[in-house]
Amino acid sequence: MTLNHSHSSNLAVVAKDLTRCFGNFTAVDNLQLEVSRGEIFGFLGANGAGKTTAIRMFCGLLKPTSGEAWVDGLPISRDSEKIKRRIGYMSQRFSLYDDLLIEENANFFGGVYGLSKKEIELRIAEQFERLGLTKQKRTLTSELPLGFKQRLALACAMMHRPRLLFLDEPTGGVDPIARREFWDLIYETAEDGATVFVTTHYMDEAEYCSRVSIMKDGKIVALGVPAELKRKHGTQTMEDLFLKLVGVSGESGESVE
Amino acid sequence: MKTIITIVRKEFQQILRDKGMLRMIVAVPIIQLFIFAYAVTTDLKNVKLAYVDHDRTSESRQLVDAFFTSGYFTSVGMAENQTKLMSWLMEGKADITLNIPIGYAEGIVRGNVSDVGLIVDGQNSSLSGRGRGYAEAIIRTEAAKLMENKRLEHPELETKMHRIVPVTRYYYNPELESKKYMVPAIVVLLISIISGMLTGMAVVKEKEVGTLEQLMVTPITPMQFIAGKTIPFIFIAFFELAFASLIAIFFFKIPFEGSVLLMIAAAILYLQVTLGAGLLASTVSQIQQQAMFTVWFFLLFGILMSGFFYPVENMPKWIYMLTYLNPVRHFMEIMRGIFLKGVTFSDIIPQFALLFGLGTLIFGTAVIKFRKMND
Ligand SMILES: Nc1ncnc2c1ncn2[C@@H]1O[C@H](COP(=O)(O)OP(=O)(O)OP(=O)(O)O)[C@@H](O)[C@H]1O
Ligand SMILES: [Mg+2]
Repeated sequence: MTLNHSHSSNLAVVAKDLTRCFGNFTAVDNLQLEVSRGEIFGFLGANGAGKTTAIRMFCGLLKPTSGEAWVDGLPISRDSEKIKRRIGYMSQRFSLYDDLLIEENANFFGGVYGLSKKEIELRIAEQFERLGLTKQKRTLTSELPLGFKQRLALACAMMHRPRLLFLDEPTGGVDPIARREFWDLIYETAEDGATVFVTTHYMDEAEYCSRVSIMKDGKIVALGVPAELKRKHGTQTMEDLFLKLVGVSGESGESVE
Repeated sequence: MKTIITIVRKEFQQILRDKGMLRMIVAVPIIQLFIFAYAVTTDLKNVKLAYVDHDRTSESRQLVDAFFTSGYFTSVGMAENQTKLMSWLMEGKADITLNIPIGYAEGIVRGNVSDVGLIVDGQNSSLSGRGRGYAEAIIRTEAAKLMENKRLEHPELETKMHRIVPVTRYYYNPELESKKYMVPAIVVLLISIISGMLTGMAVVKEKEVGTLEQLMVTPITPMQFIAGKTIPFIFIAFFELAFASLIAIFFFKIPFEGSVLLMIAAAILYLQVTLGAGLLASTVSQIQQQAMFTVWFFLLFGILMSGFFYPVENMPKWIYMLTYLNPVRHFMEIMRGIFLKGVTFSDIIPQFALLFGLGTLIFGTAVIKFRKMND
């Protein structure tokens, strides 16, 4: 597989030999990856596999030790400032201001992305309506249940209508119903034309993705459409596939159908 | 610019919601002003002084009187010799001893005042340290008075005397009213604490709760972030300065002889120092307490070496030289000068220049370190 710049610009995310070391330890090891526009791409792997490290490199939070990646066609080594305007990022750990009202949080991120006052109002109205946050507009963020905090984080990450969303374990720690509802929002977002790059430990969620990769010790050990991967490795569920490839169990997440 | 305003607004929303922070901004200055102002004045009321007067002239008796009428010293009695004085000091009967040598009065005429022997009990450092400062000031004030009299009596000595008039450290505070001297210094302390600590804590808080990482995937630049984080504390520092100064002037009846504009200009230069210190602390701290203690550590150092408690001239020579690098000292001198002496810009150009230089250095270093950290 050869990659060049023009090729990569048609893709939402491309990684070529992407590597990141912490001291002697290689957290991401020669990662090769292509994600097309409009995909919901599931970025799977056990704890410590290197998912967050890879995402942080895509978002410009961390410099690669070697290799290169392109995000929305732009090389991360040179254009991280431009990339920031085009992506939305929800970190693994909830990281909005607990001591602001939820409306103030959204206002702040709208302002930071340079939206006008009018645009911000419009965007808050439409997003809060869609995400079911309108009633809690004037609630202090710290008082929200985790599931709603995650929705607020999604709303804030999407204030500027990014074409590409990086969601790092967006549903960690909430009940299956809340997870299901959050995934409905992810679907809607993808239907609107955005690319969603999402990590998860829940294998039921992996089934919702258009394609997934499974990572182990900094390397990708499987990549493809969930149904094909299962067929290829002769397993019934993503759960079994994950166990077989990674050697540890993902969380089944007691999916509600 | 719009981005900076967005950050500033967010910062104020957070500050106004934080009861602890509000308490710190409004109540702490009042409490500190009162505690310090009173602690300082009552503390110094009863320094126990023993003396021996070998000179036995009207001038030497005047010096002894000056001590006991100052209101800061109580008499332990007159000793017959130095040995006796030392034993009183050892036994703790006296905090400070004064030995007036033969020829004191004559020495004064020649401008020779350092012959007066002061020994201070070093065990109670705060009391004896300030006691010593006051004792020295009394000696110098007396000497200056005597010399002035001599000059009036013998105008023909004018030119010769002029050269040897000792520089009086407490010139601008001749009555040695410690309150007058301390309250402007406490105002300095207050705005240092508020602007330095709160800035450091506010920046580290973003690190601690992870919002800094979230901000770094937005188009905010480090410079915008720094501006947005420090501007609110510039406002608060000025609020604090006005608030504390008003208490000083109207409650403590501290004179305000100088210019408000000059004070504002000096404060702006000084804020570079404190905001820079807060920012620097935030680059080496992971949690808010760490930032708070780091700022506090440097501030304490700066305050101890600023002449807050007693004049820097009393310190050993090499420490005295080091205090030139201490921005707190320069701002302290400017503030005391503005409050008590009514200094004008031309009187304090060196302090302004040093404050500007040191401030730019500290803030500049902080900005560079902060940008590196986020790389
Ligand atoms: N700043 C760092 N310094 C040193 N080691 C790090 C650093 N960040 C991550 N690591 C290590 O790199 C490895 C990969 O971490 P990473 O957070 O990318 O894993 P992950 O796949 O996101 O795991 P999880 O599912 O638990 O979130 C881990 O072993 C982690 O300890
Ligand atoms: Mg992770």
